[in-house]
Amino acid sequence: MTDTVVIGAGSNELAAAHQLLRAGRSVMVVEERKTDRYTDGWVPPQIAMPGLAVDQPDPWLRAVLPDGGTLELWRDMKRSTDAIRRLSPRDADKWPRFCERMARLAALLADLYLAPPPSLVDLRFAFKVRRLGRTGMEDLMRVLAMPAAELLDDWFENDVLKGALGALAVSDLQQGPRSAGTAFRLLHFHAGNSPGVFRAPRSNYAQIARSGLEIRQGVVQRITVRAGQATGITLDSGEELGATAVMSGADPRRTLVDLTEPGWLDPDLVRALRHIRRRGVAAHIDVELERAPDWKTLTFAPSLDYVERAYDDAKYRRISAQPCLDLAADGTRVHARFQYAPYGAEGEISPTIVQQHLPAIKRATVRSTMQLEQAFGWPQGQPHHAELSLDQALWMRPLPELAGYGTPIRGLWLCGPAMHPGAGVAGASGYNCARAMLRTL
Amino acid sequence: MKTYDVIIAGGGHNGLACAAYLARAGRKVLVLERRERVGGAAMSEEVFPGFRFSVFSYVVSLLRPEIIRELELARHGLQILPLESTLTPLLDGPMSGSYLAQWSDHDQNRRELARHSPRDAEAYDEFGLLLHRMARAVKPLLSTAPPDPASRDPRQLLDLLSLGRYFRGLPERDLHALWKLLTMSAADYLDEWFDSEALKGTKSASGIIGTLLGPRSPGTAYVLLHHYMGELDGVFRAWGFARGGNGSVSAAIAAAAQAHGAEIRTQAPVSKILLAGERAVGVVLEGGEELRAPVIVSGADPRRTFLGLVGEAHLPDEFVGAIKRYKFRGASAKVNLALGELPRFTCMPQPGPHLRGAVSISPSVDYLERAYDDAKYGEISRRPYMDIVMPSMLDPSMAPPGKHVMSIFVQYAPYHLNGGWNDARREQLGDTVIDTLAQYAPNLKGAILHRQVITPADIERIVGLAEGNIFQGELTLQQMFFLRPAPAWSRYRTPVHGLFQCGSGTHPGGGVMGASGRNAAMAILGARA
Repeated sequence: MTDTVVIGAGSNELAAAHQLLRAGRSVMVVEERKTDRYTDGWVPPQIAMPGLAVDQPDPWLRAVLPDGGTLELWRDMKRSTDAIRRLSPRDADKWPRFCERMARLAALLADLYLAPPPSLVDLRFAFKVRRLGRTGMEDLMRVLAMPAAELLDDWFENDVLKGALGALAVSDLQQGPRSAGTAFRLLHFHAGNSPGVFRAPRSNYAQIARSGLEIRQGVVQRITVRAGQATGITLDSGEELGATAVMSGADPRRTLVDLTEPGWLDPDLVRALRHIRRRGVAAHIDVELERAPDWKTLTFAPSLDYVERAYDDAKYRRISAQPCLDLAADGTRVHARFQYAPYGAEGEISPTIVQQHLPAIKRATVRSTMQLEQAFGWPQGQPHHAELSLDQALWMRPLPELAGYGTPIRGLWLCGPAMHPGAGVAGASGYNCARAMLRTL
Repeated sequence: MKTYDVIIAGGGHNGLACAAYLARAGRKVLVLERRERVGGAAMSEEVFPGFRFSVFSYVVSLLRPEIIRELELARHGLQILPLESTLTPLLDGPMSGSYLAQWSDHDQNRRELARHSPRDAEAYDEFGLLLHRMARAVKPLLSTAPPDPASRDPRQLLDLLSLGRYFRGLPERDLHALWKLLTMSAADYLDEWFDSEALKGTKSASGIIGTLLGPRSPGTAYVLLHHYMGELDGVFRAWGFARGGNGSVSAAIAAAAQAHGAEIRTQAPVSKILLAGERAVGVVLEGGEELRAPVIVSGADPRRTFLGLVGEAHLPDEFVGAIKRYKFRGASAKVNLALGELPRFTCMPQPGPHLRGAVSISPSVDYLERAYDDAKYGEISRRPYMDIVMPSMLDPSMAPPGKHVMSIFVQYAPYHLNGGWNDARREQLGDTVIDTLAQYAPNLKGAILHRQVITPADIERIVGLAEGNIFQGELTLQQMFFLRPAPAWSRYRTPVHGLFQCGSGTHPGGGVMGASGRNAAMAILGARA
């Protein structure tokens, strides 16, 4: 019998397992399905491991201009400013100041991300916020609640710049850039990155973090509970794995409602679990090209109105007629995100939409949100397991009752992306969860 | 020359309430109103011979009970008649041709809800209890001057601390519930509770009033609370109608102010606030007349007050920037009808108690959201949301015998209309409203004797509310509490010494609450609000 069984072998589960291992606990990782090759998100030094390779494309953003050509944003502030100047001298003048102000606010968030979420009435948090000074505080209070569109309109005039940043702010969210609270997401995905870079890098973390861990394949059918204490798991093969603690990277609803033996949870909590919003909105298209393109990343979201209209379709459960596209190239393979293609929406996701941006295509495979759910266990195709919106962030993630990573069942812990801080920071939810658990021992 | 302690620019209900409280405390107060009568947007007028209308704001929902008590408004003629019901007629969907009615009688309401969804009928009471609890938690904040969280001023720190203590004293689950209300969309919030589209549509409608947001926009859930605040006081129901129209609210407050010795001058438009150095010392009227007082209060919206009456040049850059960023985006219009006969709604054709309540054209969340989609891109909603009352059913003196007045609140009609507002667009709006409503009440077109259409541009022109926003600025999360109207200036003071603001562009905002006026008076008197 091991000390802890970890359900799932994604970046969060692996980060958790390493923390436990380091503390001298024995760990068994149960891999339910093959994980994605890449891990999206900034990798904090606490979580990084030898062999880590972080891919930081430069330019980090290439936005297609309506009349051909692209706007490129670089890691180097000066280069970005020059690129923006070709479209709008006014915006170019503002870019460095915008980046500086956003970086200050994102730094505050980054600070909060490698620890359990602060409580809503946490005085230490309040003092930290006060230390930002007047301008910083005012920015924070305003920006957190704002629509991304309003923030961007306050600063900039160029449609392509605003459209591309707006699309980043709403990625994997069933909201448009004019929805309140989306500016927060721009900051969230900015945290941990250098000033002026609003997209998290990808890395091989989930590949390298497998080393040193005992990993076995299997699909979990049950989490067993005796007298309010988790005692292990049962696999679909019927095999039982006993443990003194179970840490689940599956989404909270599946973990607590579907997998856990019924009868241990308060009906109010079950109801709240059923109400966690987790609507997937992006389909993926994997494309194999004849030859490698001359770019690593390409974004098609030419204006805030364009993104908003793409969202309008999603509101009425339709696939966007004019979707936002986000392409990442790795040699001749291109991975395209197609937003919005809501879960269960009518209509077809046609790969032809990406063709206009690509050289000759050999093969294209579309994966709808429904297929992503099957393939990766993303509930309703939502990779964050719980939508990352203000009402499901920080102390509310995924529910206030569960924000501390523990559950009402002793020894059962949640470590997936539905937990604070969620997507954008590689392995952080798992890292925080393991440390929270170790503190109770 | 006569001297005053306080001059208040703007005789809307907040300016009048502020005047009444200051006069009650012994200050010599002068109220200056641009128009020929006081009330601002809370105003009754005989628009067509024999037909009186609450031209702009048309119901009383949130008027603070302490104001009614302290200013003895009942003695000064205020009488509130409750609106007992809300009828939502339905054209499409599973209940096509039917309706959803919400009654004030608990059992009747429950039976009606059960007809739509037994589950909703079950959930309704629990939902009500939760919102009551939340409303009770928020209520003390309405009469508080929001402290500036970045301030180093000891007094503000003390206020911050007591605010912090207040919140820490609340049960944690209430805090979390409150956070959800502040950050969620009305549609998402209601989805957690109810199934019936008509119920969700009608409830979420209260979240979109006065803002250019749809029911699926985060931040709209909070306003659901407002409906539970009125009820909570036990003074009157959530929605009521002032006998004689909403002008009676202003008239009663004005009478209270005058009884305490305040002076009110109408047709006295303030064109400028006089400064001496960094101090406000008086006002200049459009005719050139100068009036002086050590304290000047503006009831106008923040844009007009600071960019108009004071002038950018006299204000710090940061502050000017904040005021320029402050969003108005008016999206509401009014259509007032004089009717020769009562409308007959297909779903409930007989005259009955439903005509004494509100009629809401809000059959589903999608309906409202589509209405918003049009406005989002600068167009009038093709199928607008409407909130309809017939004041003459409650107060027959509003119309000649046998005839009626109908007040239709319409959303969305965006201030920033593509191509701008003109007479043709105004008529187009009126036609859209009538055509839509006639689908529910086919005799309407034949019953119309006169019609008055008021666009957001008209509201701005007539009442002076910037961009026609009925709340003097959108009530969104980034424009609330200590951010309203600008960070660091949420306590009714302004960067100009001696100049205060008392309009609904300050905390807690609009809705004919009167709280801004009262809180401003408290701030001026130096009392702990």
